[in-house]
Amino acid sequence: MLFSIPPTGRRFCPSGRRAFLGALGGGLGCLGLDVALAADATRSGGGPRGALAPRPPMFPAQATAVIQIFCPGGMSHVDTFDYKPELVRRAGMPFDPDGKLEFFASRPGECMPSAWPFRQHGECGRWVSDLFPGLARHVDSIAFLHSMHAKSALHGPAMFMANSGFILPGFPSFGAWATYGLGSEAENLPAFVVLPDPRGLPPGGTVNWGAGFLPAVYQGTVLRTAANVPPIADLFPSAERADVRAGEPAGLGFLGAINRRHRDARGGDADLDARIEAFELAARLQLSAPEVGDLSGESALTLADYRLDDPDLGPFGRQCLLARRLVERGVRFVQIYCGAENTTALKIRPNWDSHEDLVRDHGYWGPILDAGASALLADLRDRGLLDSTLVIGSTEFGRQPAAQGKGRDHNPGAFTAWMAGGGVKGGVAHGSSDELGFKAEVDPTTWHDLHATALHLLGIDHERLTIYNNGIPRRLTDVHGRVLDAIVA
Amino acid sequence: MPCSPHPRAAARILLLAAMAASAAISGSSAAEPGGAGPGDGGAVAEQVRALFSSRCRECHGPDSQEGGLRLDIDPRRADETVAVVVAGSRGASALHDRVTSTDPDRRMPPRGKALSAEEIELVGAWIDAGAAWPEGTWRDPRLDHWAWQPVVRPDVPGSAVGAAAIDAFVAARLTESGLAPAPEADRRALIRRASFDLVGLPPTPEEVAAFEADLAPDAFERLVNRLLASPAHGERWARHWLDVAHYADSHGYERDQLRPHAWRYRDWVIDALNADKPYDAFLREQVAGDVIAPDDPAAVVASAFLVAGPWDFVGQVETQSAALRRQARADDLDDMLTQVMAAACGVTINCARCHDHKLDPIPQRDYTALAALLAGVTRGDRPVSPAAVAARDARQRELEELIRAATADVHALAAAPVDLADIVGGGDGSGNGVKGAGIDPRTGMARDRTPLSFLEGIEANRPVPGPSPLVAAVLVPDGSGPVRFTVDGDSIDGIPPTARQGWDAIRNGPVNAQASTTTAGIDYATAGHAILGLHANAAITFDLVAIRAKHPATSRHFRAVVAYGGRAEMAGAEFAVYLDGVRMAQGRLAQASPGEPLDILLPDEARHLTLVATDGGNGIGHDQIWFGDPRIEGTPSRPVDEPALAAARGRIETLRQELAALPETETVYGPVVQPPPPVQLLVRGDPEKPLGEIPPGLPGWIAVPVTHPLADAGDGQRRRALAEWITDRANPLTPRVIVNRLWHHHFGTGLVDTPSDFGTGGGRPSHPALLDWLAAELVDHGWSLKHIHRLICTSKTWRQRSHGVPGAAAGMAVDSGNRLLWRMSPRRLDAESYRDAVLAVSGTLDPARGGPGFRDFRVTEAYAPIYETIPVDRPELRRRSIYRCVVRGTPDVFLTTLDCPNPANLAPVRPRTTTALQSLAILNNDFTLRHAEAWAERLRKEAGDRPADQVRHGFQLAFGRDPDREEAAAGEALVAQAGFVQLCRMMLAANEFSAID
Repeated sequence: MLFSIPPTGRRFCPSGRRAFLGALGGGLGCLGLDVALAADATRSGGGPRGALAPRPPMFPAQATAVIQIFCPGGMSHVDTFDYKPELVRRAGMPFDPDGKLEFFASRPGECMPSAWPFRQHGECGRWVSDLFPGLARHVDSIAFLHSMHAKSALHGPAMFMANSGFILPGFPSFGAWATYGLGSEAENLPAFVVLPDPRGLPPGGTVNWGAGFLPAVYQGTVLRTAANVPPIADLFPSAERADVRAGEPAGLGFLGAINRRHRDARGGDADLDARIEAFELAARLQLSAPEVGDLSGESALTLADYRLDDPDLGPFGRQCLLARRLVERGVRFVQIYCGAENTTALKIRPNWDSHEDLVRDHGYWGPILDAGASALLADLRDRGLLDSTLVIGSTEFGRQPAAQGKGRDHNPGAFTAWMAGGGVKGGVAHGSSDELGFKAEVDPTTWHDLHATALHLLGIDHERLTIYNNGIPRRLTDVHGRVLDAIVA
Repeated sequence: MPCSPHPRAAARILLLAAMAASAAISGSSAAEPGGAGPGDGGAVAEQVRALFSSRCRECHGPDSQEGGLRLDIDPRRADETVAVVVAGSRGASALHDRVTSTDPDRRMPPRGKALSAEEIELVGAWIDAGAAWPEGTWRDPRLDHWAWQPVVRPDVPGSAVGAAAIDAFVAARLTESGLAPAPEADRRALIRRASFDLVGLPPTPEEVAAFEADLAPDAFERLVNRLLASPAHGERWARHWLDVAHYADSHGYERDQLRPHAWRYRDWVIDALNADKPYDAFLREQVAGDVIAPDDPAAVVASAFLVAGPWDFVGQVETQSAALRRQARADDLDDMLTQVMAAACGVTINCARCHDHKLDPIPQRDYTALAALLAGVTRGDRPVSPAAVAARDARQRELEELIRAATADVHALAAAPVDLADIVGGGDGSGNGVKGAGIDPRTGMARDRTPLSFLEGIEANRPVPGPSPLVAAVLVPDGSGPVRFTVDGDSIDGIPPTARQGWDAIRNGPVNAQASTTTAGIDYATAGHAILGLHANAAITFDLVAIRAKHPATSRHFRAVVAYGGRAEMAGAEFAVYLDGVRMAQGRLAQASPGEPLDILLPDEARHLTLVATDGGNGIGHDQIWFGDPRIEGTPSRPVDEPALAAARGRIETLRQELAALPETETVYGPVVQPPPPVQLLVRGDPEKPLGEIPPGLPGWIAVPVTHPLADAGDGQRRRALAEWITDRANPLTPRVIVNRLWHHHFGTGLVDTPSDFGTGGGRPSHPALLDWLAAELVDHGWSLKHIHRLICTSKTWRQRSHGVPGAAAGMAVDSGNRLLWRMSPRRLDAESYRDAVLAVSGTLDPARGGPGFRDFRVTEAYAPIYETIPVDRPELRRRSIYRCVVRGTPDVFLTTLDCPNPANLAPVRPRTTTALQSLAILNNDFTLRHAEAWAERLRKEAGDRPADQVRHGFQLAFGRDPDREEAAAGEALVAQAGFVQLCRMMLAANEFSAID
C-alpha cells in the first residue's frame, strides 16, 4: 500500500521495493528516507494526505515548524548585527592598499564604519545596531551566526545556495526537504507556504521554493496577500464566473459519481482513489485558506504590534502575522521574503542590495524587517509557540566593510544569520568574522551547517534525508553540514 | 558539484578498494591493461600500499582527496604539480618530508600517532628503490558492470521474431515468477492508449468508431503506422527529448532574459523525429552538426542541443570579478557535459567533477578530458547558415554601393551644394557618406562611429593625406610660425600655440562629448542639416580642385555657421578658416557666443580650403568647434536634366526598397565557438585550485576505438570526436539508453528504471536480454526509432489490459510495481498532454506547427524581466504545449502544479503526484474554465439542441465512449441544474479524462 505510513522504525527502509529490487539482482537496496515511498507513489499514486501526512521525526524534535525570514539582496552585517569597532578606527583608510581585490561590481573603496551606532542589549549583552531597536529587545532569545559565508557573490546562485544547498538552480528547497521528511500537521492547508514580498519575486524567482527533483507535492505554495485575489492561485473560479461557482456543488456531486464509477469498473486503483480524495481535500482547502487571511479575530493590539496600518511597515507585518497564523494551524514550513527582485520600482532599491546608497536602502528596509520580525518573535513567545517554532533570519550574503561610493558591494566572505525559538539557545553567538567583517574567521559556517542544525532541531539527521537523482542520493546538505551544537539548547 | 555516495554503495567501494592491490582507476584510462608486476620490490610496495590504506585513505583515498592527493593509487602521478613522491629520492619527496615533520601543523597523518620509525623507513626505502607501484595487477571489478559490456544480440526464447520476440522475453520472466500475461485490452482502450502514446492527443470519436469497426487482422498495425506517420508524433516525442535536454526559451538564473531564437532547435527535434532521422545521426548532429555540416542549416540548428540548458548572465558577463566568471563558466561547462553524457549515454559524469566517481569507474581526469572536448562551446545567438549570411551581406554591400553611386548622380544632376561634413564622413559631398563617421587627425585614416577620447601619440604640425582625394590633409596644429597645411608644403601663419593635444576624430556630426548642436534656434543635428565636428586641436584642408571636378558649378562660395558645442562659459576654443594659406575668418567661441555665419567666395583658381580649431591656450577641455551646414554652393554650369534626375531618383528608391526587403538572416540560440582554452584538473572542482592541464580525451572504461587525434585539436575536431565516440557501433550505452527511454515512455517505467543512469548506482534492467535485443534491433534497422516504436506498440505485452486482469492478485502479490509486466501499467496524462487534450476535446486546438513559441505571459522589461501570465484569449495561445515559450525563472503555475518539471533539471523521468492544488487548478484555472465554455459551445453546435445528444457527444469526445444510462441521466440532470459549462468543467476534471488504461 502506497503512502500509508509504515510503522515507525521501518519507515526509512520500505521493504517492498527492496525485496523486489533484490529479486532483480541488484539495485539500490535500502535508500535514505522515503525514496522508495516516493517512487511507489510515482508508480501507483498515493493519497495527497499520504505524501503530506505527518511523519514522526527520526529522533525527538525540539521544533515542529519553521518560519524563515529571508532578506534578499544581501543585508549588511557590519551595519546590523556584527559590531566592528576596528572599522570605526579605520574609517576613511584604504581597505585594500595593494589593490588586488575584485568585488562583484567594483574595486574596494575605503573602510566605511556602520551607518548606525551599535549598543549592547539584553542580559547577554550582544551588540545590535540602532537600525534594529525591536529585534534588539529579543537578543536573549536569539543565537547569532556571525561566521556565515556564502559560496557565490551573485544573487541568483547565492539565493539557490541558501534555499537548496547548491548554487545551481533546480535542487529541492529547504522547505521541500522539511516537508518531505516530516509531512505536515495541517490537514487543510499546504505544508510549505511562501509569502513573497508584495513588490515581487526574489532573485531567481519561484525556483527558490521549488521541489527540484522531489515530488511536486513538496514545493512551496505561494500565499497571496493582495486584496481581492484568492490567497491561493485557482482557489476559486475568477470573480466574473459566479455562475460556475454557483453550480459547483451539483458539479462536484456529478464528478464524484463518475469518478467512483470509473474506479469501481477497474476493481480499485490507488491512484484513482487518491485523485478522488484530492478533490475532497481541495474543497476543504477552499474553506481553510481564506480563513488564514481573515484577521478579524485578531485583537486590535496584535494588529498594532505588527504595524498593519503603516503603509511601509504594514505589508511585511502582515506577512509575519500570517506566518504565525499558518504555524498555529499546523503548517510545517513558512518562508517570508523581506524584499524582492524583478521589480521596476525606482529610487529605493526593491531589496537590500545597497550598492549606491546604504543609508537610503538599509534605512528603508531596516525598520520594515525590525517591526515585523520583532512583533513575530514577541507574538510567538506570548502564545507559547516560540518553543516549538524555529525562526530563522537570513540573507544570501553580506556586504563589504569597504565603501562602494555611498553603498557597499556584495560580500560572500562573511555575514550574519540568526535563529530563535524551536530549541535554539538564546543570547549566544557562534563564530565570528575578522576584525573588519571581511571574512569569516572563527568557526566559519556554511549554509550546510545552518540547514543541518535546523533539520536537527526538527528531529532529522541531515545525512539520512535523501532522494536519488542522476546517479546520487542527494541531500539538502550535499556532502557537508554539521550540527552547530553551540546554539542548540 | 559535491555529492554524497549512497552509504551502501560507498561501503561496496571500500570493499572493492580493499580487495584491490592498487586501484589504478585514476589513470587516463581505467581499463589500461598491462604494466609491470610488483617484481622484486613487490612485497615492499604491497606493505607501503597497506600502510597508506590504513593511515592515509580517510583523507587521501577514493572518498576524499585532500590537496588533490590520493594514496590508494600510484601517488607518482601527482608529480605533475607537487613532488609528492620523487622516485629514487626520499629527500626530494614531499611525502617523506611530511611524515617525518616535527611541526604538528605539517606532520602527516595529522591525527593519531605519527608513523613509527619502521614505517617511515619502509616508505623511505620504497621511494629510494624507485617507488614502484604494483600497476596492472588489479582490475577494477566495476569495469565488468553490465552496462559497459558490448551489446550482443541475444537468442530469443522460442525463436520468436518481430514484436513477438518482446513477448517471448517478457513471458520467460513472468513464467519464472509464476505469473502470466494479461489478456489484450479492448479496442477503445487500445486506440486511446496508442493515440496518447504516439501523438499525445486523444482519438476523435470518428477514429474510435472506425477502429472498433475495422475487423481486419492488421487493423492495429495500420493504426500504429498511421499515428507514427502523423506530424503530431514528432510534437509528442520531442517533449520527451526536450526533457532530457532541459530546453527552455530563457536563460534562467537571476536575469532570465528570453532566447528569442531558441525555438528553431525545438522545431528541429520535432522534424527529425517525424522524419525518423537515424538515431546515430540525430545524436551526431546535436553534438557536432555545425562542425560536420556547417553549410546545412538544419545541422547547425541541431547543435543547439549543447546549449539548451540554463546560463548565468550575471556570473558569466555582468560581474566585475574574474574569479566569479571562472566559477560560472565551470558550472556552464559542467551543465553541457552532464546533459550530453546523461542524455546520450546514461552516464552520471557530473559525479566525477570534483573527485573520482564514487560508484562508477570514472576518474576525475576523464571528466576533465571530456569537459575539454566542449571547452570551445559558449552559448549565444549564431546564424544558422554562414553561406546565407555571406550572400546577404554581399548583396547588402552591393546595394549600398549602388545607392552611393546613384546618390552622387542625383547630386551632380541637380547641381546641389557640396556638403563638406559628408566628405568627412567618407562621402563625396552629395550625402552618401556615413553620419557620425570621421577622420583621425593624426593619421588621416577613416574612423567609424566609435567615439575616441584623448588621442595618444600625437605629432603636431604633421599634415597627412585624408582618406579620400577630396581631403588634401589633416593635422594637429600648433604655433604661430609657418605651419604646413598640405602634404605638398603649402603653409599658413598665425596659428596660436596649443597644448598639442587632441580629442576624438574630425566628424561628420558632433564630436564625442559635444554638448550642443543648436545655434540661432536651429538644431543642426536634425534631418536636412549637417555638422562638421572639429574638436581642438585639429585642422582639415579640402582639395577644391578635386571637388570642382566632381561638382561642376560657377560662382562658388563656402558657407557655414561656425559655433561652439562645449560647456565652457568664458574661455572656449578658437577657430580659423584659410583659403590657400590666407586667413579669411577667425574667432574665439564660448558657451554664450552666438554662432558666426561664414560666407567666403571661392575663386575658380582657389586650391585649398582649411578649417582649424585650436584650444585657446587653456588645454583641450570643452573645446568643441562645429560648422553647421558647411557647404560649397554655386550656380549650376549647365541646365538641369530633369528626366535624367527623375530616373536617377527612381533608381535610388528601387534600390532602397530592395535593401529594406533583404530578409533578416536566420539565427538560432546555439553553440558560439571559441578556440578551446586549456582545461585544468581542479582540486574538488574549484576553478581557483588548478592542478594542471588535462588534454581533451575520451574515456576508456568502455571499449570504443578513438580514431581522431585529439592533441592540438580545435573545437570542431573535439566535438566531432565526441559525437563519433557516442555513436560508434562499439558504444553499448547509446542504443541501450535510447531503447530504454522509448520503453519508459510506452510503459511508464523503463526496463532500467533510471533512464539517465546506467551506472552501478542506477537500476538493474528488469529484462536484460530484452534490452539488448531492442538495442540490436535499433542498430540493425538503421537506428530507426520508429522501428522500435512499432515493435513495442504492436507487441502483445504493450496491448495487455491494465484492469480486469485475471491474475491481478498474484501479480500484485509478487510484483506490485509491475516491473515484470504482468499487465499494462495504468498511467495518467502528463501536464502538457492534459493541456493538449483539453484543447483537442474542446475543439479549439490551433494546429499551427513550428515557429516562435506562443507567449502566455506579458513581459515587462526590468533589470530582470517580469513575466506575468495572461488570459488564454488569443488563438495562438491554443497551440500545442510543445510550442509554448518556456521561461525558466517563472514557470507556468498551472503546468507546474500538474508535475511539469522545471527546465533547470534534466528530467528523464517525470514524477507523478496527486495534490489538492492540482484539483483546484483543473477546476478553476482560467485555461480550463475557458475551454469548458468553448467545449459547451462546440457540443451545442455539433450535437443539436437535445441535452441527451450533447451529453453523449461530450462523453464520446472526452472518454471515447458513449455514456451508459445512469451516466447519461446524471449528466442531463447536471445540465438542467447547473448548465453545460458545469458539465464540461467536471468532465475535464474527471479521472477518466486523464487516465490512460
